[in-house]
Amino acid sequence: MARTLLFLTGILFLGNSLAAGPLIRLGRGFAAEEQLWLMSARPDLAPNQGKRYELKQILFQANPERFQAYLAGELDAGTAPGLAIIFGSAQGMDFKLVASICLEAAGKQYFTTQYMVKDDGPIKSVKDLKGGTIGVVGIKTATDLWARAGLLNAGLVPDQDTKVVPMAFPVIGDAVRTGKVSAGVFVEPFYSAEMAKGGLRKLFTATEAVGYDHELLDLFFSEKFLKANPDAVRAFLADYVAVTRYYLANTAQAKADLHKAGFVRTPLEIYLRNSDWKRTPDARVDVGSLEKLAVFMREKLQWLEKPVNVREMVDQSYLPTR
Amino acid sequence: MAAINRLLPFGFVAALLVAWEIAARSGRWSKLLFPSLSSVLNEVVAFFTSSALLMEAWVTLERALGGFALAAVVGILLGVVMGRSKFVAGLLDPLFSGTYAVPKLALFPIFIFVFGIGSLSKVALVFLECLYPIVIMTYAGARDVNRALLWSAQNMGASRAAILRRVVIPATAPFIFAGFRVAVPVAMIVVVITEMVSSADGLGYRVIYAMASLRTDRMLAVVVVIAALGYLLDKAVVLARDRLIYWEKLDTYYV
Repeated sequence: MARTLLFLTGILFLGNSLAAGPLIRLGRGFAAEEQLWLMSARPDLAPNQGKRYELKQILFQANPERFQAYLAGELDAGTAPGLAIIFGSAQGMDFKLVASICLEAAGKQYFTTQYMVKDDGPIKSVKDLKGGTIGVVGIKTATDLWARAGLLNAGLVPDQDTKVVPMAFPVIGDAVRTGKVSAGVFVEPFYSAEMAKGGLRKLFTATEAVGYDHELLDLFFSEKFLKANPDAVRAFLADYVAVTRYYLANTAQAKADLHKAGFVRTPLEIYLRNSDWKRTPDARVDVGSLEKLAVFMREKLQWLEKPVNVREMVDQSYLPTR
Repeated sequence: MAAINRLLPFGFVAALLVAWEIAARSGRWSKLLFPSLSSVLNEVVAFFTSSALLMEAWVTLERALGGFALAAVVGILLGVVMGRSKFVAGLLDPLFSGTYAVPKLALFPIFIFVFGIGSLSKVALVFLECLYPIVIMTYAGARDVNRALLWSAQNMGASRAAILRRVVIPATAPFIFAGFRVAVPVAMIVVVITEMVSSADGLGYRVIYAMASLRTDRMLAVVVVIAALGYLLDKAVVLARDRLIYWEKLDTYYV
């Protein structure tokens, strides 16, 4: 009798674990990843979740920490800016970029990262930043890259003509207003909050600095996990694309759900008003833009010691067919 | 036996380093996370052969020593006055003991707004962090001056200034140097952290730069340089102490 019970319990547990699918431990960030967060905030929108895969999202404040956790074997997947994935690839990290999250794109309907100066200050053009300082959020981050691109476009040499200094997003507005830095970088929701306060004006945007629309945030998976669990990744990405489409079609409702679930701390009325980055409904990666970024990082910024084969680091075969 | 005892600490360190190298080369951990000592050593050599990187070390040293020197001047002054004046001690002691445990690094954003994002905010924070150990140790020393020496000086007609110069300061000097030995590594730690938070130069900036490039070996090389600088600064303080207060050379007996 006891043996039969044990056997039945074993079958039950085995059945459950097989039905649930493998657990995806995904390292996430704190901005611009709405459709991914929505998969946890609204699991009803992701029908494969809990059946063909389990999802655990873990918050990280910065890319290096996320990559360290990944290298330590604590993550199977994660989000990261395209340029961080290029850095990782250059250092031989074994991951594949599988889907796009959002892009920096020109156009009134999209938000693109802004570099702003004091409205009544002496900086009228980027050239006036000579001898000044630009506040960015981190060294070798996307905000650093755009700042340097903007300076180079104006014929200035970053670090030599203009200092690029890291500082936290919340303090950049006051730093610009009080003249502690000549210009600073602004993303949502800080951009809207600072614009509401007034006294700041746009100097250039990320897309203007680089000169083309390009990948901002992407989704990566470890090669080991992809090989071991291809069906789970396909199911996850099918849900991801479905949730992205839902988000694009029902942005206000999705934002309200994310706010309610605690993924976003900005007051809801401000969050709903904020313009959003470009998100493609099929989550396809703009590989060409990453290739251009990699060349820029190597040739103009000397951030890469050797060329990176971007096409090799991208694998979109797990995405649903168009 | 004496030779073995002298070599023992080095042997222990050598064993640790060998264990590190074996573990790093085992392939069990990613070299991006756990680089071999040989690759770190290569980066250390590259550091010392690059004038630009040596300049970064100089920037950090300038900031650390600037803040430390200011703290030394103000700290000795305050500590001695507190030790010799009940009124001043009653005024300042609660302030120092009440705020000693406050992590001054949390005030760094305010320092940036007051002093800017350049060197001044970093020097100011180093000054504040170093001030506490120097004041507290000097205060303890100045209070602890042997009364017999003070009475003798008074009986011999020494003025207050002469007593301060010839009795109080020399008697307090060992405590002042003990405060310096606590403050010097604090200065290095604080300056590196402030450079990691907001800077376009210095060793802290180099740590963040290497981390952002996923170059753990390079980051550890900078950490080695920071440790070496801290060690050299401490040795400089000990050397100065042994030269200046030669009568206080300690004989330690282990039982």
